[in-house]
Amino acid sequence: MAILRTENLYKVYDSNGISVTALQDINLEIHTGDFMVLAGPSGSGKTTLLNLLGSLDKPTKGKVFFDGEDLAVKTKKELSNIRLNKMGFIFQAYNLIPVLTAVENVEFPMMLLGYNEKDRRKKAVEIMSYLGIEDLVNKRPNQMSGGQQQRVAVARAIVNDPHVVLADEPTANLDSKSGANLLDLMGKMNREKNITFIFASHDFHVIERAKILVKIEDGKIIENQTA
Amino acid sequence: MSMLLKISWRNIWRQKKRSLIVMSSIVVGTAAVLMMDSFSMGFVYQQLNNQISSHVGHFQINSKGYNANKVIKNRIKHPSEIEKKLKKLNFVQAYSRRVLAFGMLSSAEGSTGITMVGIDADNEAKITSIKSQIIKGQYIGNNPRDIIISSAVAKKLNVDIDGKIVMMAASTSGKVQSELFRVKGIFKTNNSSFDKTHIFIPIHTAQKLLNIGQDITQFVVLTDNLDKIDLYKNKLNQVIDDKYEVLSYKDILPLLVFYIELSIEMMALMYVIIGIAILFGIINTMLMSVFERIQEFGVLMSIGMKSRQIFIMVIQEAFILGVLGTIAGFIVGYVIYLYFAVNGMDLSAFSDSLVSFGVGSVIYPKIDVNVMYRALFIIPLTTVVGAVYPALKAIRLQPTDAMRYI
Repeated sequence: MAILRTENLYKVYDSNGISVTALQDINLEIHTGDFMVLAGPSGSGKTTLLNLLGSLDKPTKGKVFFDGEDLAVKTKKELSNIRLNKMGFIFQAYNLIPVLTAVENVEFPMMLLGYNEKDRRKKAVEIMSYLGIEDLVNKRPNQMSGGQQQRVAVARAIVNDPHVVLADEPTANLDSKSGANLLDLMGKMNREKNITFIFASHDFHVIERAKILVKIEDGKIIENQTA
Repeated sequence: MSMLLKISWRNIWRQKKRSLIVMSSIVVGTAAVLMMDSFSMGFVYQQLNNQISSHVGHFQINSKGYNANKVIKNRIKHPSEIEKKLKKLNFVQAYSRRVLAFGMLSSAEGSTGITMVGIDADNEAKITSIKSQIIKGQYIGNNPRDIIISSAVAKKLNVDIDGKIVMMAASTSGKVQSELFRVKGIFKTNNSSFDKTHIFIPIHTAQKLLNIGQDITQFVVLTDNLDKIDLYKNKLNQVIDDKYEVLSYKDILPLLVFYIELSIEMMALMYVIIGIAILFGIINTMLMSVFERIQEFGVLMSIGMKSRQIFIMVIQEAFILGVLGTIAGFIVGYVIYLYFAVNGMDLSAFSDSLVSFGVGSVIYPKIDVNVMYRALFIIPLTTVVGAVYPALKAIRLQPTDAMRYI
């Protein structure tokens, strides 16, 4: 069974009375262990699709199923729980909490799950060591480079053992070396931990690593190819 | 410290200047209300205590009907009956017999209508402060012709110590009797209207003047605790025969009690006004703080933080500001209070009007549990109320809308 599935998905934005169709008739299946890239030019709708898959936004029409369950019937609280327990998010701008240190940022999702301080600190440090950023533990976001912040963001995304990680342009703000390192890391997690990754990106370096490449243009899937 | 509290705490210090400005307004507001509240309480309780200590006492026991019609006919004919019972009550610290009558006081140079108070000098001194308020001469001694008058009466009658005064009053038969006195002492209380209308003579002389034998007009009673006045009134009513009436200071001074309640209500209004000023400051600050972090809230929602947790986080930030500001404001206000509680606030420039209120020219602020409760709890609570709207703003957004927010 697909971990994520969309069914005739539409998203229309209404801005000052003008309707803009961002996505139309999207039918997609994502399975556990996939390493999928949603590729397309700016404005093609890939981030919109990623947001709908991550239950961060609601479709205008159509359905998104997560683990076979229709997300449209879920309450705000239930969706929060799904995101917290089963999904991880990585953003283009890293979006770490600026007032927390790196390790506190990683601990944050565990705090939301009710872990005690000792357990969450232990697990956060373990994850950071796995990602090779244990030396950043006590640094605040403004004391880290973009690549370092994004690695911390990855640690935060995977710390609750999610089924799927959704990454929106994760390499866009990184230099090529940092971007490559980050992709290596995510590839490793995909292989070793069987975490499903879905990327929205137009970065060639990301696209070339995709096991499944979904090309989107003008809100429509124009190609869905498996490597 | 929980992580949520840690985030709230650190968020406050992201904009140090802004937080300090808001906190300063809370500090000033808290210190100001504490001062106003304590001075207001000091003012009214000083008024009350002056009345109690100068004449009223905690209780007065009269013959039924005396309070409505203060004539000598309504007197206590067997005071020993009451006295025996008062002696048995352990909360009664002191009591004293009194004979009161209206009359005319005359000197060679003038006359004035007056309330004559016949007192048992030794016992009266245990209850009221007249003895300590003698400013010239001495308190009533063994001479039956001793009289103590106020400086206001002395001035009006143009008499001084050892001056002769004649007191005239109607006896029980209706016949006007008179008695010659020599001024033994001159007193001055903090209540000018009391001073103008009361003089003190020995109780036996008053009884003789009025021709009432050993009868008296009232007992004045002092208890061990003014705060238990209602409880003690019930106890007194249980033991005192119902042909007598037990009046607490609340019954005797209803206007003053009303004034105290009114003062408390006026202070409540003051809290509302200052609270509203702080409320708008908090709403403004928290709205700014929320709007500049909308994207951050979007991220927090994305990673699974629930609306309730975001709401609590924003409320916590305002509450911390409120608590810190209130504690600092309370310390500032309390230090000022301590200074004035010892030295008093000298309002001699307004002494004439203050004395007519029965207060005295130096006001000593008073902080009781209620004042502390109001100062310490109302303002932090106000800050929480002020943060509700910004917190609701923070949680109403969709995560994607929040993250797109510019």
